[in-house]
Amino acid sequence: MAQVFDVITTAAILYAVAAGLLIVFGVMKIINFAHGGFLTVGGYSALLVTQLGLNPWWSPAFAFAIGFLCGMIIERLVVRPLYARPLDAILATWGLGIILGQLITLAFGREVQFVRSPVSGAIDLLGASYSQYRLILVIAAVAVALALGLLLNGTRLGLQTRAVIMNESLARGLGINSGLVRLLTFSLGSALASLAGALITPLSSVDPNMGVPWLVNAFMLVLVSGVSQLSLGLACLVLGGAQVLVSTYANPVLGGLTIVVLAAVLLRLRPQGFARE
Amino acid sequence: MNAAALDVLQLRSGYGEAVIVRDVALSIRPGEIFVLLGKNGMGKSTLLKTVMGFVPQMNGRVRAFGEDVSGLPPHRIARKAIAYTPQEQALFQDLSVRDNLRLALADERSFAPGLERVSGYFPFIQERLKQRAGTLSGGEQKMLLVARALMARPRLMLVDEITEGLQPSVIERLTAVFKAERDGSDTAMLLVEQHVQFALAVADRYAVLKLGEIVDQGAMKEPGAQSRIAGHLAV
Amino acid sequence: MSSLPAPDVSAVPADTMRGRSDLRRLLILAIAALLLITIGPAVLPTYLINNLIRAFLYASVALTVDVLWGYTGILTFGQSAFFGIGAYAAGLIFTHAGFSPANAALALAAGIAVSALVAVLVGWLAFYHGASPLYASVVTLVLPIVVAQILYSGGNFTGSSSGLSGFDSFDVSLEAWFRIAGTYLVLLTAVAWLFVRSDAGRVLVAIRENEPRCEYLGLNVSRIKILLLTACAVIAAIAGYAFASVQMVVAPEYAGFVFGTELVIWVALGGRGTLIGPVVGTLLIDVSTAYLSGNLPFVWKLIVGLAFVVVIVALPQGLAPLVMRMFRGGPKLPAGETLSLQPASEEPLAVLAAAGRHAIAVAGVRKHFGSLQVLEGIDFQADHGELLSLVGPNGAGKTTLMRCIGDGAERSAGTIQVNDADIDRKPPYECVALGVGRKFQNANTFETLTVAESLRIARTRLRKPSLWARAASLELPDAALRVIQATGLDQKAAVQVRHLPHGQKQALELAMVLALEPSVLLLDEPTAGLTKAERTLIGQILVELTAQHRLCILLVEHDLDFVREISSRVIVLHQGRIVLDGTVAEVVESELVRTIYAGGPGMGAAQR
Repeated sequence: MAQVFDVITTAAILYAVAAGLLIVFGVMKIINFAHGGFLTVGGYSALLVTQLGLNPWWSPAFAFAIGFLCGMIIERLVVRPLYARPLDAILATWGLGIILGQLITLAFGREVQFVRSPVSGAIDLLGASYSQYRLILVIAAVAVALALGLLLNGTRLGLQTRAVIMNESLARGLGINSGLVRLLTFSLGSALASLAGALITPLSSVDPNMGVPWLVNAFMLVLVSGVSQLSLGLACLVLGGAQVLVSTYANPVLGGLTIVVLAAVLLRLRPQGFARE
Repeated sequence: MNAAALDVLQLRSGYGEAVIVRDVALSIRPGEIFVLLGKNGMGKSTLLKTVMGFVPQMNGRVRAFGEDVSGLPPHRIARKAIAYTPQEQALFQDLSVRDNLRLALADERSFAPGLERVSGYFPFIQERLKQRAGTLSGGEQKMLLVARALMARPRLMLVDEITEGLQPSVIERLTAVFKAERDGSDTAMLLVEQHVQFALAVADRYAVLKLGEIVDQGAMKEPGAQSRIAGHLAV
Repeated sequence: MSSLPAPDVSAVPADTMRGRSDLRRLLILAIAALLLITIGPAVLPTYLINNLIRAFLYASVALTVDVLWGYTGILTFGQSAFFGIGAYAAGLIFTHAGFSPANAALALAAGIAVSALVAVLVGWLAFYHGASPLYASVVTLVLPIVVAQILYSGGNFTGSSSGLSGFDSFDVSLEAWFRIAGTYLVLLTAVAWLFVRSDAGRVLVAIRENEPRCEYLGLNVSRIKILLLTACAVIAAIAGYAFASVQMVVAPEYAGFVFGTELVIWVALGGRGTLIGPVVGTLLIDVSTAYLSGNLPFVWKLIVGLAFVVVIVALPQGLAPLVMRMFRGGPKLPAGETLSLQPASEEPLAVLAAAGRHAIAVAGVRKHFGSLQVLEGIDFQADHGELLSLVGPNGAGKTTLMRCIGDGAERSAGTIQVNDADIDRKPPYECVALGVGRKFQNANTFETLTVAESLRIARTRLRKPSLWARAASLELPDAALRVIQATGLDQKAAVQVRHLPHGQKQALELAMVLALEPSVLLLDEPTAGLTKAERTLIGQILVELTAQHRLCILLVEHDLDFVREISSRVIVLHQGRIVLDGTVAEVVESELVRTIYAGGPGMGAAQR
């Protein structure tokens, strides 16, 4: 039973981390390699909240805001000029990730630090004892998914964003400012990454390179999901579940490889991944 | 003297170094239906795309309602009450009819009055609002395209080969709709076509494009216009 | 129809002078570098010698990244994995089996063998026909992650996160290692320089510029990439082996993707596609890092990161071209050379024509995209000497049909035979081998190559290119020669294709396809964007190709005047079906065709 919880929480965490990357990929057709950097920014935003002695429940909102701001600046300065060069955009965002990491190291030092968790302790659920915070994470991930879905499907901006994803040229011909949509999408994606970073740090710790392993898993998940939130959820469950199984029954280090290897092989056999067609 | 709805002056454009549109000049007045005729590959679509800002101009100017729009990005031009209907991939196939219509508007408040207007022309739209646009029949999709173009009360419509593959009855309906819009709202229209009969029925003025150049133009009512057009478009 | 004047075979004599002076320059530079390396250890401080050894080896790996990425367009983060494999081959064997000359040889062989094997596997995964560049890069990113993780989880055998250290190695002084590593780098750079400038090296650039065009010129692009990756993997593994032998320490970081991305950063900063840029860039940055990162630990990395981003956004060519411009005071003309064009000895198509009953035989071909039926029930045959035009309204399926004949995987059902050979599911490069030459709709060429280089690429399938030299003369079949000379391209052999006017680009692409010696020529709107005079010329050439050279030409055209003038036969497609197949006169007179084009009543009533 604890296994099932493990899979669910792993999938939830993966989803929270990858959701921002998914919308950026859908709208802008590039993989934002700075995503890991934003994750780290989020973690350190949470650290700042702890250091300032504020209520840790503020961390997610704080992280979201900072991520959004950074995203806007980066989209204008770095991503926009590279609109026609997608591989170069990937490289530039990777460089940005490095810059973010170094700036954080300069500001906070490179040691591992700890963030105060808003709740602690475990509760008993269906016969197994489970960490309260992890369960809250699941709820948070679901909330993010719902909010994102509501934004994309229930608002006018969301409709315009979906139009840009489907056919940018047609959208522009209808009067939609796709440049603005890109800016907002990238900022939102960065904000979500930052939010995820703040959410996951109470589980372990913060250090300037915390985002990197998440980045690789996240973008493999996104590649395998096409542009669908549902596919992403499915991919997180299936591949996340595989990771849990391999880590438990084989080798935890190899478990870390599961998502990455399985996704690469899956894409070779079925380039659309989990997406419908 | 009212400004022309569309003024194209010595327009030259193309892809890379290939010149497709060669020094085209034409003028469309408000409340006028202008048909641009020509066989495949003659540059008609490219001309529309250049006016709309999708293809960069190599030379010349484009003015809409007295305002120079050369070099503006497509979405800015669209927001000047200019509706563009491309020939291919013109609908969001996976979105509903309602969403396709909404996307043509700048804000949600215009949706209800706009829908009422276009349902007057195409009653079937009211019943199919929730249906995915890709599941409509070919004729219905084209009518939806025209409806979408009309939603935002455009002053100028640029329409690329709307009659392609359509049944005669649908073509007749479109002819009536275009004329009603022209008469009722003074809408100017630039229709790109290969369908000669339709052009004859709906146009006030015409021009023939051949290898990127205008080789003939005039009023449809002129004697001899019909036979000249038929000659240009003969197989 | 008057035929074109016979080509002047005693063309411009081959100009090898420029080529020779380049080689001389290379030799001088190489000797100078070797001299520096020989005296280096005597004058430099030990700390610097140590760093430079490492930097030399890193630079060798950076060189492979440049060849893969800068020249061939494969963005790879994975060369570090091969470096690590070579290093661990040494580390593992020297640690667990001790050091001896036999073990040293064994370790080197093992490093090379394993890295080659992994490269083939990765290549199979990443370079399959139709793979996207993003996917290929992703696979090269996954590789070092996997290798590093395997090393981490190896327990005592691999030393896990601390790696292996303290093993015995070659009894060679630091100074000697300096000379060995330096010489390896210089030789490698010289060989790489010869390679990328050779005819074979130009193929890599062609792949980067326009991979589909290469496939349709008969090149098995997947195999070329896999071979290249394997060679680069072995070179990186040897560098890793040397590294482990010098440092006597190996750690998983050397195989990881952080190192892999650092290599890409060095290449980008130095100047991708210049060879010297990445080498110098790596040396400078790596040595600077050693000195500066002690004093300004994180600021230095920040500076490098910033420089990297700035370069990618604003100076994508890197810093090398800027530096070179300062030295030479201005951009030089492309170092092309005039080319002697000879007629090739070719298989007379009459023989082929006699062998097969039909040039093209299409039976029951269907094509659908999901639920959309694009082609239905296509049946026709065409013979050598026919000039067959495919006409029809937009969306009738003309280009789709052309695609099906050029690529065996394209159609959904039916059979297609070329010269009586079934194309089955063959990919484009194999269809070329069966005799199909396809010219695309827009002038689809290699923008930064010269006219001469483009033509040479087109001949690659029939004449294997040299790996280190540039041929001074090029043989072209008669048909291609005529096109080149009639359109004045023979005067522009050294001009880069992107500087050609549109009409000449079209002609060049036609000449390239004719250089394949096809028996079936598929032309998609060859006159698009051409002036009246150019159209007439192309028309003359096409007629001559069928009349004199017995080609079978299948032509998609919108310009119906052009079709009427030159075709021997016309097929009319409408909504995916053949509605008429006959002579020009029959089609022009046909009421049906008039209806389709004029869109009058009667047509389409049943459909929608």
